Amino acid sequence: MELFSIIMLISLIVFSISISIVKDLLSTIIVFMVYSLIMAVLWQQLNAPDLAITEAAVGAGVTTFLFIAALKKIKGENK
Amino acid sequence: MKYKDTILVEVCRIMIPVIQLFSIYIISHGHLSPGGGFAGGAILGCSFIITHLVFGRTYIRKIINGNIIMKGMSISLIFYGLMKGYSFLSYDLHLPKIPTGTPGNIFSAGLILPLNIIVGIVVSLMMYFTFSLFLDGEI
Repeated sequence: MELFSIIMLISLIVFSISISIVKDLLSTIIVFMVYSLIMAVLWQQLNAPDLAITEAAVGAGVTTFLFIAALKKIKGENK
Repeated sequence: MKYKDTILVEVCRIMIPVIQLFSIYIISHGHLSPGGGFAGGAILGCSFIITHLVFGRTYIRKIINGNIIMKGMSISLIFYGLMKGYSFLSYDLHLPKIPTGTPGNIFSAGLILPLNIIVGIVVSLMMYFTFSLFLDGEI
């Protein structure tokens, strides 16, 4: 395996641990989006460009928007 | 829900047409290159969601409202059923076949291009419908 893919895999582990450690919810959503984007690059490295496009659109786009909408609802209830 | 941030508004004003053009490219080249109806439709739905988040609800309601979403999804599903039913029945009833052009052109591969376009329309409207129902509680 190339060096680039190994660096990407190590950073995936770091991001997935930091998602459960970070206390701020908005930061957690953004770190989760970066995780999904790096996953899309890894699919491209594994010769699956169709899956990479879908991962970048759904994982990094729609899921993040839905999480942000949910976070907005939660903060609106509290304040 | 209108953000007054100048950088966000100007960057979205430049980038949203590019995103929509790229999604149309992915949908229309779905039978030649990676991608297809679902991936391009998800990107197109993302552009609608960004427009809703940045330019506000009253701006996007002039373009997409509940009436448009219901009509678009229903008409698309009718045409999907007609095409799939034609390709299912044409073998048994000896109906005329759909001409398949030369491989590599846009207008080739028979019914795959219209089906990809229909799936893209349905998926993009469904993404925006889910988000709008989730954020505002209405459509």
